[in-house]
Amino acid sequence: MSNLALATILLGAALAASMISVELGISVALIELGLGVVVGNVFDVATPEWLVLLAGFAGILLTFLAGAEVDVQQFRREWRSSTAIGVVSFAAPFLAAMAVAYWGLGWTREASEICGLALSTTSLAVVYAVLVETGLNRTVIGKRIMAATFVTDLGTVTALSILFVTPNVWFIPFVGVSIALIAGLPRIAPAFFRRFGDRVIEPEIKLAFAGLFLLMWLGAKSDSHAVLPAFILGLALSSHYASHRSEQERLRVVAFAFLTPLFFLRGGMSVSLPALWANLGILALLFFTKVIPKLLGVYPLARRYSAPHAAFTTLLMSTGLTFGTISSLYGLNAGIIDETQFSLLIAVVVLSAIVPTVIAQRFFQPDAGEEARRDAALGRPALEGEGG
Amino acid sequence: MPFTSLLVAVDGSEASNRALEKALELAGLTGASVTALAVEGPLPAYAATIGEVEEVKREKDAFFGRLAQDVRARAEQAGVAIDIDIRPGHAAELIPRVAKERGVDLIVLGHRGHFLRDHLLGSTADRVAEHAECPVMIVK
Repeated sequence: MSNLALATILLGAALAASMISVELGISVALIELGLGVVVGNVFDVATPEWLVLLAGFAGILLTFLAGAEVDVQQFRREWRSSTAIGVVSFAAPFLAAMAVAYWGLGWTREASEICGLALSTTSLAVVYAVLVETGLNRTVIGKRIMAATFVTDLGTVTALSILFVTPNVWFIPFVGVSIALIAGLPRIAPAFFRRFGDRVIEPEIKLAFAGLFLLMWLGAKSDSHAVLPAFILGLALSSHYASHRSEQERLRVVAFAFLTPLFFLRGGMSVSLPALWANLGILALLFFTKVIPKLLGVYPLARRYSAPHAAFTTLLMSTGLTFGTISSLYGLNAGIIDETQFSLLIAVVVLSAIVPTVIAQRFFQPDAGEEARRDAALGRPALEGEGG
Repeated sequence: MPFTSLLVAVDGSEASNRALEKALELAGLTGASVTALAVEGPLPAYAATIGEVEEVKREKDAFFGRLAQDVRARAEQAGVAIDIDIRPGHAAELIPRVAKERGVDLIVLGHRGHFLRDHLLGSTADRVAEHAECPVMIVK
């Protein structure tokens, strides 16, 4: 299939995914993944270099956006109670999944690490949607869950950047440039955006993209991954974006209109349905390897820090989507995992976005009004903001 | 016994406009107080980015803000005092719950009539009628 034919099919699928998403009220990313599976299995196409590059960049951009969407003030308020939950939420499934993959399934050490990373995540966006929809994002428990989710994802991106490093001479410029961008961009952003911003040619988006491509290039040269600096860079710019919402929205428009669909479609394209069908038992094993350590690890802490909604908190911490997909795709692109392992990990990630969320909402959802009254009775101040 | 407190579900559709009209008419006759409940439907489920959720939420806030203004204007025109309650969630679950919370003695809601969906899943009106603890008036 020619590049143009594939691009046409992918953009058609991206359009169809947006329309289906609007009609069904399901996230566009999940539909894109599903349509990617259809494209990959029906057309039997090899993934061209341009798609690997654009999807790789979209993954880094998603990571940057996730960092930029963190409410730093909220995290500062809740970090004491959230750090323990967040760390255990990362470490318990990471270690369990790594052990099961390595000793139980006979995967290589590096493939087992990818498995651990893909299953360690908690989805900021899935959690955020549940909290906003229920109004819990304005309560203390909602803020704590969001802060804990941030800690878990920070664990994932840190491990993804560190675990596969093979130190070479490029590692020094990679670290140096990362530090310079993280320290420098928030300082120059106000002046840069004042001078060049708010134009249809979008110099501020190009600045962010150039910085992210630079990180990707140096990350690749140093056999590392740019997710950690991209996430921290987003975090460093989060206060700036919080006070310049229109800039953040324009960045999202560019990302969601073209780049992130390619990321999720490319992820779906590499999922092999026959491989999944042949390994349903392993799929179930990996799903429980993600969920059970999360439940066992997080629940005791949640009883302490988010009582009386420990079950709700634990289930939300068991969700995953974007960082699980990013970790799995990194493993596939780097040749660490094969198509069957990738298919299994993506299927588990998607299941973990859906199953714990449905159970949490159906059986354990706190009443936001009651929770706000409880906050007031305990003398906790009313919280402002959506809590992203 | 006349109705003293009504709850009408509003979402800007033709069916809900008809329900609002009936509720205001009934309140005018009985002197009942009226609560207009607007249920912001679910946000994108299983989202991959916070941006996607925020965008939909912002659109919903804007839509329901305009809807509240419109409902208030129509109530003023009818000479009925109205309280507007906008909540996120699922209509079939929230309408009976809010009716119970507020102790209303009649729920008024419109019926849109989606042929396929109604036959496969049952309509919102059916489910509200099943779960409500007070009388339900369905306006067609």
